Amino acid sequence: MKKNSITDDYKTKISEKIKSIRLRSLNKRKRISRKDLDRPVSFWIKKDRLVNEVGKELTIILRTKGCSWALGETGGCSMCGYVQDANIEEVNQNHIRNQIDFVLNNKIKEISEANENFVIKIFNSGSFFDENEISEETKQYIYEKVANIDNLKEFIIESRPEFIKSENLKELKDYLKGKYVEIAIGLETVNDYIRNYYINKGMTYEDFINVFKICKDNRMGVKAYLLLKPPFLNEAGAIDDCVNSIKNLVKLKVNTISINPLNIQRGTLAEYLWYNNKYRPPWFHSLFKVIKKSISQNDLLNVRLLSDPSGAGTKRGIHNCLKRECEKAAKRSLQKFVFSQELGTLDNNNFECECKRKYQLQKHLY
Amino acid sequence: MSNFFELLENRIGFSRIGRINLSKERKLYIRTPNVTIPIKNVLMKQFSFIQEFENHDLFIISKEIFLKIGFLREKFKNTGFIFSNPGTFEKYEKILRKNEEIFTKDNVLSIIPFNFPSTAIGIDFARREVRFYLSNATKILKTYSKINFGLSIRLYGYSELIHLYIPTIKEYENIKILNLVDLFDNFNNFRNIINILVEIKTQLDNNIVIMASGKIIPKYYPILVYLGIDLIDSSFLLYKSAENLYDTIEYFLPRYKVKYLPCSCVACKGNLKNLVSSRYSSEMLDLLCLHNLIVALNYMMKIKQYLRYEDYRGFVEKSSLDDIALISMLKILDKDYFNLIRFETPISQKNKKINCLGPSSYNRPDFREFRQRSVKSFEPEPWTTMIIVLPCSAKKPYSLSKSHKFFHSVLRKFREFANFQEIILTSPLGAIPRQLENVYPVNSYDISVTGDWDDAEKEITSEMLHQIVTKYNENIPIICHLEGDYLDIADIVNSKLPHNFYFTKVNGKVTSKESLKSLESLVKQHISDFRSLKPLPEGNYLSNTWIRKLIKILDYQFGEGSGLNIIRNELAPLKFNSNSQINLIDLISKEKIGVFKTLSGQICLTIQGLKRMVQSPFSIDSNIIVFDGQEIQGNNLFRQGILDFSSDLISNNYAIIIDKEKKEIIGTGKLIVGSNFIKNSKTGRIAEINEKK
Repeated sequence: MKKNSITDDYKTKISEKIKSIRLRSLNKRKRISRKDLDRPVSFWIKKDRLVNEVGKELTIILRTKGCSWALGETGGCSMCGYVQDANIEEVNQNHIRNQIDFVLNNKIKEISEANENFVIKIFNSGSFFDENEISEETKQYIYEKVANIDNLKEFIIESRPEFIKSENLKELKDYLKGKYVEIAIGLETVNDYIRNYYINKGMTYEDFINVFKICKDNRMGVKAYLLLKPPFLNEAGAIDDCVNSIKNLVKLKVNTISINPLNIQRGTLAEYLWYNNKYRPPWFHSLFKVIKKSISQNDLLNVRLLSDPSGAGTKRGIHNCLKRECEKAAKRSLQKFVFSQELGTLDNNNFECECKRKYQLQKHLY
Repeated sequence: MSNFFELLENRIGFSRIGRINLSKERKLYIRTPNVTIPIKNVLMKQFSFIQEFENHDLFIISKEIFLKIGFLREKFKNTGFIFSNPGTFEKYEKILRKNEEIFTKDNVLSIIPFNFPSTAIGIDFARREVRFYLSNATKILKTYSKINFGLSIRLYGYSELIHLYIPTIKEYENIKILNLVDLFDNFNNFRNIINILVEIKTQLDNNIVIMASGKIIPKYYPILVYLGIDLIDSSFLLYKSAENLYDTIEYFLPRYKVKYLPCSCVACKGNLKNLVSSRYSSEMLDLLCLHNLIVALNYMMKIKQYLRYEDYRGFVEKSSLDDIALISMLKILDKDYFNLIRFETPISQKNKKINCLGPSSYNRPDFREFRQRSVKSFEPEPWTTMIIVLPCSAKKPYSLSKSHKFFHSVLRKFREFANFQEIILTSPLGAIPRQLENVYPVNSYDISVTGDWDDAEKEITSEMLHQIVTKYNENIPIICHLEGDYLDIADIVNSKLPHNFYFTKVNGKVTSKESLKSLESLVKQHISDFRSLKPLPEGNYLSNTWIRKLIKILDYQFGEGSGLNIIRNELAPLKFNSNSQINLIDLISKEKIGVFKTLSGQICLTIQGLKRMVQSPFSIDSNIIVFDGQEIQGNNLFRQGILDFSSDLISNNYAIIIDKEKKEIIGTGKLIVGSNFIKNSKTGRIAEINEKK
């Protein structure tokens, strides 16, 4: 990755704090049993939006050594606690292959018998192309397994840009001929300052664009993750930032944009700020505003806009007033939009909570 | 083009009355201090909001749409707007670019936003963020050099970061407002708050308008104005309203607790009373917002009223008494910042009753100024042969009170009356030489009298008495006609000085026949104890009570020795005119040397009078302003016309204006501001000219 002047002095600033919080939390972590090393962190099948249709997703969260960025000197990203699920010391490549086998043995029947098409998302809460997490052989093992399942039409993995190389992509493409492949990258925002100083991501927008071009050269889709309301931003700033990012990415013609409203994860700087009443996860009202302000129905013909927020409707996740009815309605609206990609669905909400007024009065301030 | 800000009057503490002109093309003045009312879409939908606030003169807007809406200009004409965008800097830059003409020509001033990070994790982080903000802000200030801006100041609790802002503020003259974004979020950091404001006052142009925003509730408004804040953003009340809180100034009551609506605003008289106890609803929230904003506006009106016409310090104390942080802030200002604040506080207040509320009042800056100045300037009359210490009276000046008339009925029996130095003990001012009883604040203070003095009162008064008595020969007899705790004060001083203290026998009250007899006999007994080396020839003009007073008042105003230099001869009979003023005319030369003004307790000298006091070539040690020219034009002296000035100028005192060559007095003027303002400003009115050559 190109060295960037913005990130040069991060060591003395935010990263030390992130690292100390993370280490404290990692030390308190429970030891994972030997049996669990052969099982992924999690996996599920559920309804999802595919490129051109509504189908199903098979998501697998692999347990690997963990994200090298999070485990490195920099301390990782300020909102990400996924490294808590990793197993730094003990997990090896056999375990990872066993995890894949475990999932496919469990789900292959359901997938084969389903009428819908599937997207498979293999996430390792780090970088799929990072050799330290997933070796060349393991990758090939995974590709072979996936290539043989007919109604798996789309294949999505995620990686930091520095690990995405043309040869990696070529190999992947060779294995998965006929399937739509999308590389997901945690861009978080197009604003370099916010990304590097508040999120501590250690990459630039230019890095993203370079990798985007490599993916396009290899005829692969690119999915950009955007973080709604990074730490240190207020609600109004978060909206501006996310709207600006989406507009830029639409112009760039990325294939998919996924908005991830920040959720408070264990052992993160975001959690520390939240505990100290210096951060509130975003409102659903903000997410809807972002979507409506940033993209037109016409744009949605070319770009898929997704959002599947973790912890939605809880105090640690995106939420409005935490009243069950209000949160349920918001989640329903969002899901409708994601499946249909119709902006109109965001307004066709039968329930509008009184908390919207509270939001309107407070969003400019904090 | 007029100045952006014009200081009209200084008031006690750092408080000040001024006006700003947001419009570049016409004179549209907005008075300060003032509160900015937020305009939001949700508020604008309420008819009552528009009705209630259409006559208000300053709003804060955050959306670009309000920069364009035609009705806003029509509905809120003669109104100023502050634009403060809550989002990203990039968004703000876009808005600025798009609306450059409006910001250049219209009555809208934009604050360069510093919205995030909303918090900091350590000083390094905070420092880097401030630098980053300043580098962005500097680009804006340079690019749009013809547009006036407000600069946001975020400190994240680290007061030292103010030093990062100062060079930028000094460099860019298009910074007209400093918006303190987070300084007042926690009043428990009162030392930090004071440090920052002092830094701003002493380092920066005092014509820059100071705005406070963030977590500010109306209860804090009086102290903020006392601290020199010109504009207060009331937007936080929207947040409070959204949290279901109802403002009564003293408290924020949760909605469910509000049983009696102690307000008769349009919201409380309307549907709010029915809604407070019902389910949460948008309408209730709208009305709560309306009520809370009306409360803020009305409270600011009250502040403006009291600032102009009442003793504002008294109001600040009253409104701060139930808040430990606020009252601590006042005490620290009084104690540790007196040497700065004394040059910001007028030397006198006209026509105002000063109620002392208790310990919080003891060291208010005008009281300390009086104590310090009177002790420093008071020189014993050389013919004094006896000191008489008396208790104070409720009526001011003391001479007009019944008790003091009784004392005088005894003392005036003695032909040596002019040789007596009367000193009046009083709380919390201290020990007052009779000659200064007409001076502010002696002429206007009041305190509840129970006869019990606390330790602080005793310490203040005994210290002052000690300082005055020390100036006298130790053989001079000191007759104390006192009772109760007053005696403790005399005892304290007696125990520390070699002077002879004699105490009358007080039977019942000090004004009882027996007590007065005791006074008379004690005076008689000691009248010959001390002989002055410079006795006053019989019938000398200096034995006249009013002349004795005028001489000491002149010393008080212009320094020791001034009085005798100015009043060299008998004065023409002293008569109060219809304005409660006395013309001071030299009986021999027939020159008018000045006017004594009862309401302020001050003497305004004529050029003739001043000439007697100071001699050419002038030194600028005290009360002098050097004018950049030979002749003053107009009725006001402006900062641009000043070459040099004394460092002891205090507003409401009189200054001597001399010519460029320092050879001639060319005028006299009443100061509007003190030395600190003159030092830290490039423009503004400095004095009202009383007389010019």
